[in-house]
Amino acid sequence: MKMLMTLMMIGLFAAATGCNESKLVTGSGSAGHGSGTMNSKYLAASEPPGAIPVGEARQNAKDKDAVTLVGRIGGSSNPFIDGLAAFTIVDAKVTNCDDEGCACEAREAKDNIAMVKIVDASGKPVADDARSLLNVQKLSMVVVQGTANRDDQGNLSVLADKVFVRPTN
Amino acid sequence: MNSPSHLPSLPLVLFSFLSPLSTATQMLLPWEYGVRNLARRPVRTLLTLAALATVVMLVLVVVGFIRGLERSLAVSGDPDVVLVYSVSSEANIENSSIAARTPSLLTATLDGTWKRFGVNHVSPEVYSGTRVKTGDGEEGLGLVRGVTRAAPLVRRSVRLIEGTWPGDGEVMVGQLASAKLGGRPEAMAIGESIEFEGREWTISGRFSAGGAAYESEIWCNLSDFQNATKRQDLGLVAMLLAPGSTSAEVELFCKERTDLELRAIGETTYYQTLQQHYRPVRLLAWFVVVLVSGAGVFVGLNMMYGAVAGRVREIATLQAIGFRRRAILFSLVQEGVLLAAAGALLSALLALLFLDGLAVRFTMGAFTLRIDSIAILIGCGVGLTLGVLGALPPAIKALRASVATSLKAV
Repeated sequence: MKMLMTLMMIGLFAAATGCNESKLVTGSGSAGHGSGTMNSKYLAASEPPGAIPVGEARQNAKDKDAVTLVGRIGGSSNPFIDGLAAFTIVDAKVTNCDDEGCACEAREAKDNIAMVKIVDASGKPVADDARSLLNVQKLSMVVVQGTANRDDQGNLSVLADKVFVRPTN
Repeated sequence: MNSPSHLPSLPLVLFSFLSPLSTATQMLLPWEYGVRNLARRPVRTLLTLAALATVVMLVLVVVGFIRGLERSLAVSGDPDVVLVYSVSSEANIENSSIAARTPSLLTATLDGTWKRFGVNHVSPEVYSGTRVKTGDGEEGLGLVRGVTRAAPLVRRSVRLIEGTWPGDGEVMVGQLASAKLGGRPEAMAIGESIEFEGREWTISGRFSAGGAAYESEIWCNLSDFQNATKRQDLGLVAMLLAPGSTSAEVELFCKERTDLELRAIGETTYYQTLQQHYRPVRLLAWFVVVLVSGAGVFVGLNMMYGAVAGRVREIATLQAIGFRRRAILFSLVQEGVLLAAAGALLSALLALLFLDGLAVRFTMGAFTLRIDSIAILIGCGVGLTLGVLGALPPAIKALRASVATSLKAV
C-alpha cells in the first residue's frame, strides 16, 4: 500500500513535468506563416523609379512589356496564395473593404487589380509563401518590377523578379 | 535551464507530502468504514447518487454534442478536394452562382485535376437549402444537392448503402436526412415520396458518408434540380486533385482570372472556417458544462454537510482513539469520491448505451452525438472532481472543532 501510494505520487509528478515540457517544446515551433524565410534575393534595396499605378498598367500595359507597378496588397479577403509566392495588388485609390467584405472588394478592385507572381531564374513561380518570403502582409504597399502577362480577357499578371516594400508610416 | 516558475514548487510540495503520508497510511481509517457509512442512510445516499449521475449525464450530453459537431466538420473535408465557387458569396456556398461552363474551363486549363480512365474527377453541383415535405406531412428545412455521376468520384466517403442512384424525378437521401428534417425515419425509406421546389420526388436510395456533413443531405440529378429551380448556372465545382498537386494552382487560376469572379478553397479549409463560425456555440456549450458542474458541487456539498453534521461526536471519538485528522479527512473525501465515481460510471454506461450515435438536428445539417473516450474522460473527471470538492469543505469544517467540545455534541 505504501509502495503503491509512493509510485502514484511519482507518476503524478512525472506526468506534470512531462506535460509542461511538451508545452515548452511545441510553443517555440508554432510562430509565423509558412516554412520560408525572408529572402533578400527578391527584395529590392531601393524603390525602382517610374512606378505606375495598377489601374494605369491594366489599361496600357501590353503582353510581355517590362513594367513597374505600385499598389496595395489586397483585392480579396485573402490576397495571398498559400504555398506560392503570389498575391494580388490593387490600385492605391481602391477603397479598403475590410468592413464590407469580399463582394465590396471584388466590385471595387475589378478594373484595378493585378496578380503578382515572384518567379525564379527559370521563370517558374517560387514555391514559398510570399508573406514570409518578402515579410509582407495584406495592405502592404509594394512596388513590383517584372514582365506583364495579359490574357484575352484583359487580366493582368506580373512575373516579378524584384519587389520593394514601402515602409509603413 | 529555463522552466516555468511554478515547476520547482510542485515536486517540493509532492515530496514534502510523501514522508508524513507514508507514516499516516498506517493510521488510515479502513476502506470499509467509508463504504458502510454510505449505507447508513440509504435514501440520502441514493438521492445524492441520482443527482450526481444526472450532473455527469448532462456533462456527457453536452460534451458528446461538442465532439459530434467537431467530428462532423472534421471528417467533412477531404484534403485533396478543392471547392470553386463565386467570389461574392464568401463562405455561403448556398448563395454561390457560377457559369455552367466553369467545369470544362477548369479541366482545360489546369493540369492538377485527377483524371482516370478518361474521366475527370470534377463534380459540378448546385447546393441549396429548401423546404422539404415528407409523405406523412412533416415539413422542414432540408439541404438538397444536385449532382452528376462524377460526385462519388470526388466525394470519396459517399457510399450507396441501399437502393439505386437517382434517375429522373428521384432522389437519394443521406442516413441523417430524416434527423435533419425532424421527421420519422420511415418517411424517408426507399419508395417513399418527398416534395420540394414544387415537385414530388421518389426516394430511390440511401447513402452514408462516414459522418460527413453531406450525410444529412438529399441528392438528386443536377439537371433535374436545375429544371426544378429554373436555373442554368451552377453553385460550385468540387475538384479532386491529382497526387502531388496542391490547391495553389487552382487558387492562382481563380485570382488571375478576375473576369470569372471565382474563388478556390481547399475543402478542409472551408470546413475549418465553418468550425470558426460555430465557435460561439462550442464556447456556450463548455460554459453550460461549467455551470452544470458547479451545480453538481453544490449537490455534493449539501449531501456531505448533512452527513457530517450528524456525526460530530463520532468524528471526535475517532480522533480521541488516535486517528489523525488527515486520516478522517481522507475517509470523508473517500465517501464523496465513491459516490461520485459510482454516479459517473452509471451515467457513462447509460450514455454509451442510449445516447452514443443519437442524431441531432442542427442548422448546417445533422450529426450524431459522440460519446467517445474524450467525453467519457471529461465526464468521469468532472464526477470525481465533484466528489472531492463536495466533500472537502464539510470535512475540514468538521475537523476544526476541538475534540472535547465535539464529544459533548448531541
